[in-house]
Amino acid sequence: MKRKLVIIGAGMASGRALEHLLEADADGFDITLFNAEPRGNYNRIMLSPVLSGEKSYEEIVTHDADWYAAHGVTCRFGEKVLRVDRDRKVVVGENGEVPYDQLIFGTGSSAFIVPVPGHDLPGVVAFRDLEDTTAMTNASGTPGGRAVVIGGGLLGLEAAAALRMRGMEVTVLHIASHLMERQLDPAAGYLLKKDLERRGITVLLEASTKEIVGEGRAQQVNLADGTELPCDIVVMAVGIRPAVALAQDSGLDCGRAIKVDAQMRTSDPNVFAVGECVEFNGNLFGLVAPLYDQAKVLAATLTGAEATFAMKELSTKLKVTGCDLFSAGDFAEGDTREDIVFRDPGRGIYKRLVIEGDRLIGAVMYGDTADGNWFFGLIKDGTDISEMRETLIFGPAFQGGAPVDPMAAVAALPPEAEICGCNGVCKGTITQAIAGGATTLDDIRATTKASASCGTCTGLVEQVLAVTLGDDFVIPAAKGICGCTDLTHEDVRRLIKSQELKSQEAVWQELGWSTRNGCHVCRPAINFYLLADWPLDYKDDRQSRFVNERNHANIQKDGTYSVVPRMWGGVTTPDELRAIADAADKYNVPMVKVTGGQRIDLLGVSKDDLPAMWADLNDAGLVSGHAYSKGLRTVKTCVGSQFCRFGTQDSTGLGIRLEKILWGSWTPHKVKLGVSGCPRNCAEATCKDVGIICVDSGFEISVAGAAGMEVKETEPLAKVATEDEAVEYTTAFVQLYREHARYLDRPYKWVAKVGLDWVVDQIADAAARRALVDRFEISQSVYRTDPWAEHARPSERPAWQPLADLTLEAAE
Amino acid sequence: MMDVAVDTPVKTFIQVSEVWVPRDGRLVLAEGDYGTLDAFAEASRHASFAKGEGLPGKAWADQRPVVLKGFDGSYFKRIEAAAEAGLTSAVAIPVFDLDELKAVLVVLCGDDDNRTGAIEIWRESDDLLMLDDGYYGAAKHFEWISQHTHFPRGQGLPGAVWASLTPILMRDLGSGYRFIRADSAGKAGLTTGLGLPVPSPSGETCVLTLLSARGTPIARRFEIWDARPARVGKTGGAELIDGICAREGRLWDEDNPRKAAAWQGHIGRVLGTGLPLAERGGPGLVAGYDSIVALPVHLNGHLSHIVAWYC
Repeated sequence: MKRKLVIIGAGMASGRALEHLLEADADGFDITLFNAEPRGNYNRIMLSPVLSGEKSYEEIVTHDADWYAAHGVTCRFGEKVLRVDRDRKVVVGENGEVPYDQLIFGTGSSAFIVPVPGHDLPGVVAFRDLEDTTAMTNASGTPGGRAVVIGGGLLGLEAAAALRMRGMEVTVLHIASHLMERQLDPAAGYLLKKDLERRGITVLLEASTKEIVGEGRAQQVNLADGTELPCDIVVMAVGIRPAVALAQDSGLDCGRAIKVDAQMRTSDPNVFAVGECVEFNGNLFGLVAPLYDQAKVLAATLTGAEATFAMKELSTKLKVTGCDLFSAGDFAEGDTREDIVFRDPGRGIYKRLVIEGDRLIGAVMYGDTADGNWFFGLIKDGTDISEMRETLIFGPAFQGGAPVDPMAAVAALPPEAEICGCNGVCKGTITQAIAGGATTLDDIRATTKASASCGTCTGLVEQVLAVTLGDDFVIPAAKGICGCTDLTHEDVRRLIKSQELKSQEAVWQELGWSTRNGCHVCRPAINFYLLADWPLDYKDDRQSRFVNERNHANIQKDGTYSVVPRMWGGVTTPDELRAIADAADKYNVPMVKVTGGQRIDLLGVSKDDLPAMWADLNDAGLVSGHAYSKGLRTVKTCVGSQFCRFGTQDSTGLGIRLEKILWGSWTPHKVKLGVSGCPRNCAEATCKDVGIICVDSGFEISVAGAAGMEVKETEPLAKVATEDEAVEYTTAFVQLYREHARYLDRPYKWVAKVGLDWVVDQIADAAARRALVDRFEISQSVYRTDPWAEHARPSERPAWQPLADLTLEAAE
Repeated sequence: MMDVAVDTPVKTFIQVSEVWVPRDGRLVLAEGDYGTLDAFAEASRHASFAKGEGLPGKAWADQRPVVLKGFDGSYFKRIEAAAEAGLTSAVAIPVFDLDELKAVLVVLCGDDDNRTGAIEIWRESDDLLMLDDGYYGAAKHFEWISQHTHFPRGQGLPGAVWASLTPILMRDLGSGYRFIRADSAGKAGLTTGLGLPVPSPSGETCVLTLLSARGTPIARRFEIWDARPARVGKTGGAELIDGICAREGRLWDEDNPRKAAAWQGHIGRVLGTGLPLAERGGPGLVAGYDSIVALPVHLNGHLSHIVAWYC
């Protein structure tokens, strides 16, 4: 007697279950297969190459009509199941009932459509089935057609690349700060973005869709930041939702999906579920590998064999021709975890292994995925990798009895292995040069050009020298910014400009950083260099700042903070003083102190009071004094010609004007100015970073003073006749310092390195000076804002609560 | 039974394929598939070309593929033999590994009015791919359309090959594929397209496309093999990443790709030598096929891909 088996949904999981079932017991079941789509099982994950034209639909059909007929499966395709009557054990379809002994739900999932206004307009499609694919293919037939793909995950990017191949202008909108953030880390996400952009696809990150508008159909996507994207089709690929309505209506126990046990049995012992409609131990499923595991278990359960479904590690690949990426396991950062990073900027390769204890727990690779499956095996098997830790990143070719020595990897490289990507110099050429008498890095550079361009292969060239010359060559100690790179600050600044590197990920990858995302030494420097050189492209990264700059207040020895409102040129008003006094009362400030920079410091404020206090001070018109920042601190002034008998010019007015121009700008180190109204120098201008002494004939501008651990008088920069010129020269000097100085060098240190003559020459040239001022203004269009106002917003305030998990904040 | 007889088209688009390799400063014939054109084969066996001389020599000198339509009065050297064989057009494709010329693959066609297909060469100009030249046989309208089409990066078969530096096989040239050209391709019966990058020592971007029609196909089986160390690892070899066959259907298997090792079989021979091959008959040929042409792509000093077609 055959058992009556009904399957709802002819997808990949139920199809695989069917195959296993027929293999195990070909005659045991009388099978009826419902499918809402008017066709049987096809390889849904290959729809992207069908969309691009690289595959045909016929090629991805898994079970055709002949297969179902040959296996005696009754197909009810194109027919929706209306309900399941579990009491009578019948499935009710549009064309009638079918009784069952056992029932399988394989209803899969449906695309999640972001409920923005206009999401239901014609022309907004998901990417789930052949109908969606056909709709996109048809849209691509419009000359000059434009597509907007919402979602930069696997499916969205595959759709984007396919539509581009079809001839469309494609823009991808992604809400996160890097693509495929669930599968990739930011470095791999950066390379993927670059790869897609090389295909002519526009990628907008942190893009929030506000609405889709159009006359009768989708014609434009509007973003929250005001960007308008005209389009002919909108593809929503932001995620999937398990299709569980029928199961819920049938009274099965559902959470986010249909709950099953490890034998794929639902809350009804005669009803099973498999695939994307399943919830197992709180987990949902979207990738195909676990679905096939479920199918195997389900077939075993139905045929009386023993099998148990268990969660496994998953790996990801992207089906975009020419994009080689691989990710597996867990690659979040953690205190107990260690990264091994390999980058080859010339070939666009990035590999990162995450190790915890002696186990590999995660791997991300881009550009070279040859060893992906080997690493995946190590992750799945929990292999002890302590013996091969040093050479693990080089893959299996370097394992197996070889001496555990990183140098062995270099020694094992064949002569044709490329060492210097910039100049195409291979190992053989370098060893030949060594045989010809080269014994130093400079010799190699001179004879082969290896390491003579970007310099990122310097370490490798030195290793080749060491391997070839043995004891005759000593690798020089690294002179780099930190242990993450051999490049100096100066090299990095130059390369950020020349290679147009506009993000941290671009710096890490293109300059071959040896760590995943820098360290506490290099990150603040790189953050500054990027924002100084690319103010409109790069967004300041708060997490790359020191604690005072992150919290916009100076932390004190007892963990409290000090709050210093800005007093322009040291001038204040009774209202401002009242507001400061009120704030001091309201927040129980234990000390109110007048500073050397002519303003008032409120000391002893607890962190959670900061936003509210800032809001109160903001209400009185006071803004941050940046008393904590590598930026403009104060412009100290004397009363000048307005009140002083000796004053020659309006030094107070000039100081206020300068402070209003310069405030908010980030600089390599702090910057303090002084403006004195006469040579008596009451504002002590001649020990500031920029000091201006007003004289009868105009203004004497001097720079590079110091009055801290070192004391140094300023040196003359220029004498000018007008206040406008004084402002222009000062601004140009600050911008020159921003563009050229090494991070954490005060101006006096920087000027000592480059020479005052060079600085004077740069500033004296009128065109160059004005260009500096123009570039400063462009930067200030972003940074001349009050950070207190931003952080005092109610939405930001929870982050300042004392229980905030700062480790989590840093990880994010 | 799956292995039923399949109608073998009488005519294929390409009639002769030959491989010329440099030896002592001249190009000499390494091997060729001449079908029944014995006299032309004989004439070719005794030929050799200096750099810049004849069609193979011109492809060597120009460092890019060259199309020659009509031999009379041209620099083509074997005019009489070609005329007797009914061959009227030829395309020469140089295979460079960085600066080193490995070989020149020459394919010859004839019977222009009765054979449809396309062999096209696309070159970069102002950040767009423009048609440099092409041979289309009877597909005259499609030729005219192609001359007036350009491809930005990532768009269409040429643009996608250009952007990804990967050979690509497209199935349905008649749908979508850059609008008007798709429509015309559909009308001309062009169904399958194989595109591949042709690297040049000059660094110039060049894309070769072979577009195959149902009636007079360029081939009945196409394969793309990936041999990049970044894909197959340091042990070498190649993986079949895409392919279609008139007899076997799809040739790709995402989970379990076919593999080839150096020196084993035809693909292995290309892996080992780095040279193209053109062979008729012989052991090891895929069942049901009489000939194979395999063309390697060398990128950045490595053999990166092999495309192969079978008739």
